Amino acid sequence: MQLILRYLKNYKKECIIAPLFKLMEVVFELLVPYVVIRIVDQSIPAQDRGLLIRSFFLLMALSLIGFSCTLIAQFFSANAAARATGDIRKDLFRHIQSLSYSSLDREGTAQLMNRMSVDANSVSQGINMGLRLLLRSPFVVFGAMVMAFTVDRKAAMLFVIMIPVLTVIVFTVILASRPLYARVQKLQDSLLLLTRENLAGVRVLRAFRREEDEKEGFRENSSALKSAQLAVGRLNAVLNPATVVVVDVFISILIYRGAISVGSGSLTKGQVIALYNYMSQILVELVKLANLIVTLIKAATAADRIDAVMKTAEEPAGSITERGDTDIAVEFRDVSFSYGGSGKMVLDGVSFSLRKGEKLGIIGSMGSGKTSLINLIPCYYEASEGEVLFFGRNVLEWDRKALRSQVSVVPQKSALLSGTVRTNLLWGDPDANDDELLEAVRAASAQELISEKRGGLDARIEQNGRNLSGGQKQRLCIARALLKKAPVLIFDDSFSALDFATDARIRKSLSSLSWAPAVITVSQRISSIKNCDRIIVLDNGSVAGIGTHEELLVGCPVYAEISESQSVTGKEAVNQ
Amino acid sequence: MKKRSPLLRALSYTRKRLPALFAAMLLYCASVFCTLRIPVFIGKAIDMLTDSGSMDLSRISSCLVTCAAYALANGLAMWLANLLSGRVVSSVVEEVRNDAFCNLQSLPISYLDTHPSGDTSSRIISDADIFTDGLLLGFSNLLTGAATIIGTLICMWRLDYRIAIVVVVLTPMSFLLTRLISRNTHDLFASQAVQRGVESSFLDETIGNQKLVKSFCREDERIESFREIDDELTEYSRRGTFFSSLVNPSTRVVNNTVYACVALVGGFACIAGTGGLTVGNLSSLLSYASQYGKPFNEITSVITELQNALTSAGRLFDLIDEEPEEPDAQDPASLSDVRGDICLSNVYFSYNKNEKLIEDISISAEAGSHIAIVGPTGCGKTTVINLLLRFYDTDSGNITIDGTDIRDLTRNDLRSCYGMVLQDTWLKTASIMENLRFGRADATDEEIFEACRLTEADSFISRLPDGYETMISSDSSTLSEGQKQLLCITRVVLALPPVLILDEATSSIDTRTELKVQRALELLMEGRTSIIVAHRLSTIRNADKIVVMKDGKIVETGRHEELLAKRGLYCSLYSSQFEAEENQEVHSD
Repeated sequence: MQLILRYLKNYKKECIIAPLFKLMEVVFELLVPYVVIRIVDQSIPAQDRGLLIRSFFLLMALSLIGFSCTLIAQFFSANAAARATGDIRKDLFRHIQSLSYSSLDREGTAQLMNRMSVDANSVSQGINMGLRLLLRSPFVVFGAMVMAFTVDRKAAMLFVIMIPVLTVIVFTVILASRPLYARVQKLQDSLLLLTRENLAGVRVLRAFRREEDEKEGFRENSSALKSAQLAVGRLNAVLNPATVVVVDVFISILIYRGAISVGSGSLTKGQVIALYNYMSQILVELVKLANLIVTLIKAATAADRIDAVMKTAEEPAGSITERGDTDIAVEFRDVSFSYGGSGKMVLDGVSFSLRKGEKLGIIGSMGSGKTSLINLIPCYYEASEGEVLFFGRNVLEWDRKALRSQVSVVPQKSALLSGTVRTNLLWGDPDANDDELLEAVRAASAQELISEKRGGLDARIEQNGRNLSGGQKQRLCIARALLKKAPVLIFDDSFSALDFATDARIRKSLSSLSWAPAVITVSQRISSIKNCDRIIVLDNGSVAGIGTHEELLVGCPVYAEISESQSVTGKEAVNQ
Repeated sequence: MKKRSPLLRALSYTRKRLPALFAAMLLYCASVFCTLRIPVFIGKAIDMLTDSGSMDLSRISSCLVTCAAYALANGLAMWLANLLSGRVVSSVVEEVRNDAFCNLQSLPISYLDTHPSGDTSSRIISDADIFTDGLLLGFSNLLTGAATIIGTLICMWRLDYRIAIVVVVLTPMSFLLTRLISRNTHDLFASQAVQRGVESSFLDETIGNQKLVKSFCREDERIESFREIDDELTEYSRRGTFFSSLVNPSTRVVNNTVYACVALVGGFACIAGTGGLTVGNLSSLLSYASQYGKPFNEITSVITELQNALTSAGRLFDLIDEEPEEPDAQDPASLSDVRGDICLSNVYFSYNKNEKLIEDISISAEAGSHIAIVGPTGCGKTTVINLLLRFYDTDSGNITIDGTDIRDLTRNDLRSCYGMVLQDTWLKTASIMENLRFGRADATDEEIFEACRLTEADSFISRLPDGYETMISSDSSTLSEGQKQLLCITRVVLALPPVLILDEATSSIDTRTELKVQRALELLMEGRTSIIVAHRLSTIRNADKIVVMKDGKIVETGRHEELLAKRGLYCSLYSSQFEAEENQEVHSD
């Protein structure tokens, strides 16, 4: 809620004008029964045709003035809602850009997407409806009651009783149905999940002949959804009939008591009709008010969720932008690390250093902490203990952008964006010319991707690189990373989808890069790292050995075991 | 099948529920009738109001009691009608949904491969909802709306025909105005929807690749692009919100005009005293006039909803009517004690009839033999699997299992012969136990534990907090890719099928666990016909027969040594792909 108020501050004008004109609209609407009193009590009995015509024009004027007020109010409220929400979205987006990896992990892509779209929409609706109706509906309801008091105090007491009765009915039904709606939504989501999963796994499902079980599962969920929908329906079915009955019964009572007053001369016929009119106006607005409150509650919770993301701390940033005067590109000093302070150490007391231009291999089994280790170098995550130095300076003190522009990581999972080969490559270096792009493509053995047939550098890339094979994506990611010409180049298991020949070809071209970067290669394949100057063997987050391939084969049992597992096939072939 | 209009199809779903539907309609009509009677009696009561002392309070009160009685009857009818129509609506939507999903289970894989799954699932869930809500609720609203309008006009006519004429003449204004507005807003909404789509795919891409953005320091560029996209969306949404909020006030202006005209004409009639119009009548007319606008608003909104509903219904029925795959053979052959002789002879196939894919393929796999299919990407290896399992049917040529053409078998019988481990791990959102039971529905817990011990999946499952009851899904992060693969293998181990189909099954498993899995697989393959789309050197070399494919054709077949000796495609593939691996192995020996 605070969030909404904060962002509406820039739209003070709108926030005053919209409700104000809405209020005027109400006033003009409430004057209508007064005109009707004049017609019934004065012009008809006195046969005053002139007054009747004047009353007619007065009614028309009230309607048109009311309409203009509405237009102004709607215009300003739409402006405020759309623009304030736009501001919120932009700020939220900017904030998401500044989140650290651990915050991104915690929030999750799906959630952030929902904040940006679904929640922002709810806020927009809330602001728009709030500005328009928050004043209107109560004003009609209570305005009608006040006007009733000006007509007749005794009759007005009926309003005082009826309004709370209606309020209780309307709010009970609407508030009670909210959890039921939530249940419907949840069941609908699970049905959607079931269907999506069914489609994704259709081959497996059919191979295991599970079609009938799937149908059964769907029917069960489907009928649960039906019962939930029926429950909502049963509750909502009460609302209209109950309120209509209450209002009509009260109108009957009103007229009966009015009759007594008319009999005693304290009330005129026209006044009874006016009271009757006021009473009928209340119902519609009360239902609107209740719905409005639900919209506002939704908007407020959505706003709170957005606010929670906005309040997530931004990534802290150091100020160093220059490398220190040292030959050591990367140094780990007794580094330990755990994700989100979960306590489980993913890295434990890791120390090593990497010289300029050196080739380092990192090997270890699944979950041994390889990726976590390299994630600490560009400070994607902060070490829990110990220090990570980049060119002699603690990465925490580096300006994050300066640091990251000097470390190029090819991640495990190849990520590409929709566009062309060129737009994707330019991420590596926005100023690169075509020759540089072509050179990078060649170095990554990805020439086939920019063949004439595909359209050269302008070959289309679909979202997430869907139109490319795993190996093609990997090579394009490598080319992109090369364009950065960073002094430290990291390959996080980035050759996994490549065949051995391509793997070897790329590794060969890496060794002759003009700027001679330090290269870290993370892999599970001995063949990918065995030619490195040094190899770090990770086992359960600790360094099990550092050395060359030959040294480790002898001195590191974990390395020997991995090597064994990968070469066993060779031995078998020999034995046969 | 002849296509019927979605409207008729939708109505055909209500056939079983006709009594309830008719009852609901009658009740709605009754409710409209009651609503319209109330102003008449209130008008009568008002006419009896007088300060002349001759007022008959008992007659007034009897009028008002009638009023209250009508009100109660109205409430009761409306409530029952709501309940009944709600029941009809949710049962129809349930049935349509179930039909669509069930038909999905028998659609040919080619349909599912060529239609985006997001679209198909949204048909079953969202479209089903929009369709029933819109069509059936819209139907009842249309009914009550029309009844109210006609009823009101009749009542007005009976009170004073001149006023009724005035109302009838003015009414079309309301339609014209909403028409005008909605035509303009429609375009606006369309461009807003397009822009929203642009923004959400931008967000999807950026936030989905947020870490990539950060690692390439592209935050500022992304913020700038987003600002541009979002400014445009803000503008559309501002205009859309404004214009769509004009509908209600505009119809209100028309209503107010009608109201004023009724007051004017009615007032004149009262003054003139012709036609016997009383003040009470005028009050009834005014209250009719103010009620009169509501059904118009409802009907206009219902019409849009109806259009949406019909579109959704069309999409849904398209899915329900989609031709299921070719039915199983009329008089299926049955297999018992399958040995696992698989034979493809002169098979031709392509997904797209304009492009050749698989041409003249013949492979024979004797029971218990291991066949490795190798070849460059796109040579048709995975397509062969699609054909073996009858996910697709061959264009010509035939495939036999133990000498029986697979098209003479039911798909169920055929598929029960195979155990399959695919490249992509797919697991259901369910417990590990339930996922493993996929292999064999009637497996005992003990058998499942046994299978897990065999594949060594047991070691990581037992370390999970909930053990075998841990909830998992294809994209859950509880399990690593390798662990998921282990589960997929265990699933097959449990089924113990006579024929195995492996598609690069072990490619992403951790090297250290790979060895163990490899052993489990070897155990499983022992004595079973195995067809493997192979990438691993060891599988290829141990195979009884290697089938080398290129561009959809078989170029060579034979054992490793024979093929090497031929110095053909296999030899060059082998030297380019596996030389490095080979060297390393020799080296590490």
